[in-house]
Amino acid sequence: MKYAAKKLVTMLITLLSISFLVYFAFDIIPGDAALAALGTDSTPERLEALREQLGLNRPFLERYFEWLANFVRGDFGVSYKYKMPVADMISSKLPITVMMALISFAMMVVVSLPLGVYTAMNSGRRIDRLIMVVNQIMMSVPHFFMGIVLTYIFGLVLKLFTPGGFVSYETDFWRFISYLIFPCIAIALPKIAMSVKLLRGSCIEEAAKDYVRTAYSKGNDTRGVLYKHVLRNAMIPVITLWGMTLADMLVGSIVIEQVFNIPGIGRILLTSISYRDYPVVEAVIVLIAAVVIVTNFCVDIIYQIADPRISVGGR
Amino acid sequence: MTKRRHKFSKVLFVSMLLTLTVALGGCAGDKEDGDSSRIAIGIPQDLSSLDPNIAEGSGTQEILFNIYEGLYKPDSDGNLIPAVASGYTMSDGGATYTFTLRDGIQFHNGNPVTVADVKYSIEKCAGLNGGDPLISAFSNIESVETPDDRSIVIRLKEPSTVFLAICATIEAAIVPADVADLETNPIGTGPYKFVSRSLQENVVLESFDDYWGEKAHIKNVTLKVIADSDAIVMNLEGGAVDMMARVSTAQAAALSDKFELLEGTMNLVQGMYLNNAVEPFDNELVRQALCYAVDKQEILDFVSEGKGTPVGSSMFPAFGKYYMEELNDVYATDVEKAKALLTEAGYPNGFSFTVKVPSNYQQHVDTAQVLAEQYKKIGVTANIELIEWESWLSDVYQNRDFEATVVGVDASTLTAGAMLSRFRSDAHNNFINYSNAEYDAEYEKALAAEAVGDDEAATVHYKECETILTLTAANVYIQDMCELVAINKKYAGYEFYPLYIQDLAKLYIVE
Repeated sequence: MKYAAKKLVTMLITLLSISFLVYFAFDIIPGDAALAALGTDSTPERLEALREQLGLNRPFLERYFEWLANFVRGDFGVSYKYKMPVADMISSKLPITVMMALISFAMMVVVSLPLGVYTAMNSGRRIDRLIMVVNQIMMSVPHFFMGIVLTYIFGLVLKLFTPGGFVSYETDFWRFISYLIFPCIAIALPKIAMSVKLLRGSCIEEAAKDYVRTAYSKGNDTRGVLYKHVLRNAMIPVITLWGMTLADMLVGSIVIEQVFNIPGIGRILLTSISYRDYPVVEAVIVLIAAVVIVTNFCVDIIYQIADPRISVGGR
Repeated sequence: MTKRRHKFSKVLFVSMLLTLTVALGGCAGDKEDGDSSRIAIGIPQDLSSLDPNIAEGSGTQEILFNIYEGLYKPDSDGNLIPAVASGYTMSDGGATYTFTLRDGIQFHNGNPVTVADVKYSIEKCAGLNGGDPLISAFSNIESVETPDDRSIVIRLKEPSTVFLAICATIEAAIVPADVADLETNPIGTGPYKFVSRSLQENVVLESFDDYWGEKAHIKNVTLKVIADSDAIVMNLEGGAVDMMARVSTAQAAALSDKFELLEGTMNLVQGMYLNNAVEPFDNELVRQALCYAVDKQEILDFVSEGKGTPVGSSMFPAFGKYYMEELNDVYATDVEKAKALLTEAGYPNGFSFTVKVPSNYQQHVDTAQVLAEQYKKIGVTANIELIEWESWLSDVYQNRDFEATVVGVDASTLTAGAMLSRFRSDAHNNFINYSNAEYDAEYEKALAAEAVGDDEAATVHYKECETILTLTAANVYIQDMCELVAINKKYAGYEFYPLYIQDLAKLYIVE
């Protein structure tokens, strides 16, 4: 309990610092929300009026604390550029990005778990060597490049999907999901490669330990030893990786969204940065940071459940 | 054990195949469903607003042109044609404009357009019912009266002959007086009506059956936001969009013969704009030397495969009577002359300067690179600094903190002032700090001539202004860039406008 409370406080401090840094960064980089909105059509009068309206003329700290006070109360403000509530903008796009992260995560677990165990069991054989070579290639290719390659092969040559033919989940849920498959493969592939490699190494390492011999001597068959003993221990580093990966996938989808022309959180974030649309950028970044921190927290907990020897709390 | 694994991989394979089939089925569905005609058009950024009176940015306005109309509107030749009004008369030497409301014209919600709506819209833009004027040129409006239910009388503080052109801009669109929030409920009189919008994703339009003029040919239009320019070719080839305006020559080259490439001009003046207030560009000889050193044709060849129209002053060909082709040849490429001018100016060994280029405009970046090469020949070093568009707006355009920049300057209306007024010494948008008493005087004369309705004299004075800009080498003028529109051969009817306008109503399906 004490541990959870401590974690919670650290989490809040981290979020606070992040929100401040974002505000601060926007204050020092060139560009001005009013000017970005008006462009070259701006006249000095209209600029001044808009700055006044958006409150850009007030001191930096005053603006920050006002934003913070509203944010804590659940009022995320109104977008400077699109003049609509930030909460609405995010909530309509969040399902897209979350869905992408979840599908890629599922793909990773479903593919890497059997593949990792399989290669470990066949380590040294030709099939293992072949898989490891492919694995190494997948690991080295950045996901945005993989995205471009997938679009080319499956979209343009094989015509399995229409590049850019994204359909919103509100229009047609199944077409939405089917469009997300290839972007998710692009996100998942390097992660699959990483966890296969880690799981394989970890399994081989565990299998060489004394307790495995003991387990065999107690009359267990290979499968029993594998699932009851080896895998359980070998999973621990993999769970850590997966935990970090889930957060990473959420962030990774920001890049992939651009490649596959998906209007998710990433699109909102990037356009808002270029328009100096502070309220939107703040909300999105704090949200992403919160997800990363919460995921890490959950991983710590799962960690403890998976391996009772580890006591993260330090009672 | 191995057997079991084998079974598992089989299951995995089958399930993957199944998902692919689902994906495939999904795609087949989004081609032709229903018998109504449709087209998907790519746009590089989402619309900033759906309220025409406050919408900023040419990328937004060029689309809103299809939903809203002003009293007048431009046609593809740059003439002003009646829209919400069916005609007008000018009196008091341009101080009073009387518009006649078009008979039977309707808003998209089915309500007839009344003179009260027109009065409301004009007053809203002029800031007459409280608030700042939304259109600065409309601050000239003294009053708007509606003597009967067909006429609108607009009285101006100062006579103006260009007032009609302002009334034809999308900012001056006529909107219903009783619709409070155009942002969520955009209602206009244009050939297309708004259906739905998903932020950063798409805007859906449908043709308006009760349009007063020639109705749109294609029923459903989806404007799809394609934020990543690298995805444009794939989106076109894959069939997600059927048309995209302003593709680059590189993208055009990558397209298959499913697409037709239409070539027009961007209607802007691309140049290396020089801060006339900083050293060494405060010296006219230096500026002239930079002009002589440039080979415009070489730039065109390198950057756009020779496409584009060289220009010699702040005016582009679509302006017709104001455009002076002869100014193109004032600075025929002459490296020796450029060197001599530099020596005369006190820079026999050249100098170095920084040119800030907005990184999102690849063509300007490429142009800057060719320019830098050309300037090496006269001993001048141009250091290219790539900056974000928003930084360009604040640093270069607003704070005028730059030495040189490569951009294109366009016009919001087809009035000479749209291109030339910014070079008056005291103009708020004179970002190059051009200061020339002779120019100011000439511009005043042009305005004075316009005020008494003497268009011919005004044109002469405007042309004189352009000549002054060229002779004093205000900027290194390069070209009016070519605009390429990629359109699937299933469609035709695209028309180029001399202003930022995408006229969707003219598009039709080739049988």
